[in-house]
Amino acid sequence: MDTSSPSVFVNGALMRRYVGQKVRTVIQVIGSDIGSVVGKSTDDLQIVVRGSSPTPPLTTYLEVIGIAESDNAIRAETWTNFGNSFGTHNYNELCKLANGEFKHLFI
Amino acid sequence: MQTSVTPDAISTVLSNPSFDSSSERPEIVVQVVDLKPIGNRYTFSANDGKTRVKAMFTPTLTPEIISGKIQNLGLIRLIDFTVNDISSKSTKYFLVNKCEAVGSVLDSDINLESKSHAEASDPKKQKLEHSPVSPVNDVKTDVCTGITLKPKQEFVAKSASQIMSEQRGNAAPAARMAMTRRVHPLVSLNPYQGNWTIKVRVTNKGVMRNYKNARGEGCVFNVELTDEEGTQIQATMFNDAARKFYDRFQLGKVYYISRGSLKLANKQFKTVQNDYEMTLNENSEVEEASSEEMFIPETKFNFVPIEELGLYVNQKELIDLIGVVQSVSPTMSIRRRTDNEMIPKRDITLADESKKTVVVSLWNDLATGIGQELLDMADKSPVVAIKSLKVGDFQGVSLSTISRSNVVINPESPEAKKLKSWFDSEGKEISMSSIGSGMSPSSKNGSRSMYTDRVLLSHITSNPSLGEEKPVFFSTRAYISFIKPDQTMWYQACKTCNKKVTEALDSGYWCEGCQKKYEECSLRYIMAVKVTDSSGETWISSFNDEAEKILGCSADDLNKLRSEGGEVNEYQTKLKEATWSSHVFRVSVSQNEYNGEKRQRVTVKGVAPLDFAAETRLLLQDISNKNKASQ
Repeated sequence: MDTSSPSVFVNGALMRRYVGQKVRTVIQVIGSDIGSVVGKSTDDLQIVVRGSSPTPPLTTYLEVIGIAESDNAIRAETWTNFGNSFGTHNYNELCKLANGEFKHLFI
Repeated sequence: MQTSVTPDAISTVLSNPSFDSSSERPEIVVQVVDLKPIGNRYTFSANDGKTRVKAMFTPTLTPEIISGKIQNLGLIRLIDFTVNDISSKSTKYFLVNKCEAVGSVLDSDINLESKSHAEASDPKKQKLEHSPVSPVNDVKTDVCTGITLKPKQEFVAKSASQIMSEQRGNAAPAARMAMTRRVHPLVSLNPYQGNWTIKVRVTNKGVMRNYKNARGEGCVFNVELTDEEGTQIQATMFNDAARKFYDRFQLGKVYYISRGSLKLANKQFKTVQNDYEMTLNENSEVEEASSEEMFIPETKFNFVPIEELGLYVNQKELIDLIGVVQSVSPTMSIRRRTDNEMIPKRDITLADESKKTVVVSLWNDLATGIGQELLDMADKSPVVAIKSLKVGDFQGVSLSTISRSNVVINPESPEAKKLKSWFDSEGKEISMSSIGSGMSPSSKNGSRSMYTDRVLLSHITSNPSLGEEKPVFFSTRAYISFIKPDQTMWYQACKTCNKKVTEALDSGYWCEGCQKKYEECSLRYIMAVKVTDSSGETWISSFNDEAEKILGCSADDLNKLRSEGGEVNEYQTKLKEATWSSHVFRVSVSQNEYNGEKRQRVTVKGVAPLDFAAETRLLLQDISNKNKASQ
């Protein structure tokens, strides 16, 4: 496993802890523009994702991996369509556990 | 928090014949003493520690008194009142139109006069600051004037009998009982404590039941008792005690009870939140506190979000629920299986902030009474809170009222307000899904939820006596780890009745079940499969429908592949494809004898594909439950 460049599971609220670092999150796409996508995080916060988005069509949910530029913006390197149905509540809980009690299990 | 009265409140009141909320007014706080009902209203004496004057609450305040917001010996802030003269006498009284209760109820009348005459002569300095963290300069004032009054102190030494006769006169024995013994809060009771008296309201009363067991026959009934603080306990009476107290205990009335015994509650049957339960015998004392209606315990709710109901399915534990009414069905009549009696039933659908809905079946009087009320107002989306619901697995998750359930429409509680505002702002627009959907596999056993009684395989294999008396059922999530290719995987079955057929001598198949000969038969699975999870592995047997789901093809088709043979064996490939896939199984565990040896037999009753989101939810619940347990 490549552990040289880990990305932290985050929801909207956790982003500000990792500004300048590599993060991974899933958003519900609200709208997209040239060079950016606006989405809703699993904890209902707005996130702007910059970078060259993959060729449309985008699915409802999108996973992005990239550098957190601020507490609500990510410069994405990897974009993955996550389909149109996604357990946002579960993902959000995962983010909380992975940054809280079970942080030691994650890189 | 206000802890005492405004000095000279009464003279302020009497010198301002009336003021209402619009005018400039000083704050006036008085103590309520001698509160008693007259007709539909209550009178009292307003006490400011020096003077008392007769006063009366307007009838609109009666609910506040019945609900216990305004209590005897409590403090109230006057907001709107009118002073009247009683023409026949030279005394005055005032009518309270609007007030609010402040602070907690004191133990006795506030009496400043008897303590010190000095302070009365200088009322402006009179300050009743009992807060332990009062500012320093306040303390100084108190010290220099020597006034530190505590409402709880008795200022004049009196004998107990004097106090009793003064306060109670020739009151009912129940009242005397309250005076002679300290009333204990229910929460303080334990099995090792002898002499107590409790003052409680009967908030539920069971029916008298007759039982028969090894030690003979008898009768029993129980009541649920709630005290002023809202603590509940269940009390049980057997035989003579049951007969003695059955008529005495009346729902909704308040009693003094003493000389009962406590023991640890049987968790299996407990219906109220209390570690103990009470048994009353013939010698226990139960006296109605008829003259007192000063408190009504509010029903204490312990709401479970609809989203989390899955955890309670088919458990003995009863739950409380609050939700917005989405729909109300007409009443139906259901024939009870045990005695063929027709019982009315009505289904209501409730939703909450977890964006899930659930169906609650109201039975009997709740269906016809409060159910009708709900039907009439269903378009207004009322909030209902229901105490004590049983969680069943019909249609995944369903709720039913039982005899002691309690339904409150639009309760005055913070939860209800929050829910209502959520519904008004966003809830009514979003689409919600039923909590039960996705929880039941679409098999014959569809009424069973796959998310209940979930166990690991080791739970089944580690207990060889499981299912000894009758088969027990579990749900488990496991991988298919091995399907033996050279087993007898199917049998020749009658196309009509699915029973085993034998090949007839000439041609065709003879069915013993139908007593008939058929030209054709079909193959039906009876397949042994090894399943594995993180805790262990076991063999399970699966019949036709379940095996078809596991393998993804019918026995007839698989038989064709098997007979084809060849280098690349399609039959082997099919079995391999089915291996290492994960399913949720509903299994029955039973014992059968084989060569004089008892063996556990695990049979698949249902197979469902994994719903990853639902499984994750279960895992998250497990994590949070484990954390709770380890704390």
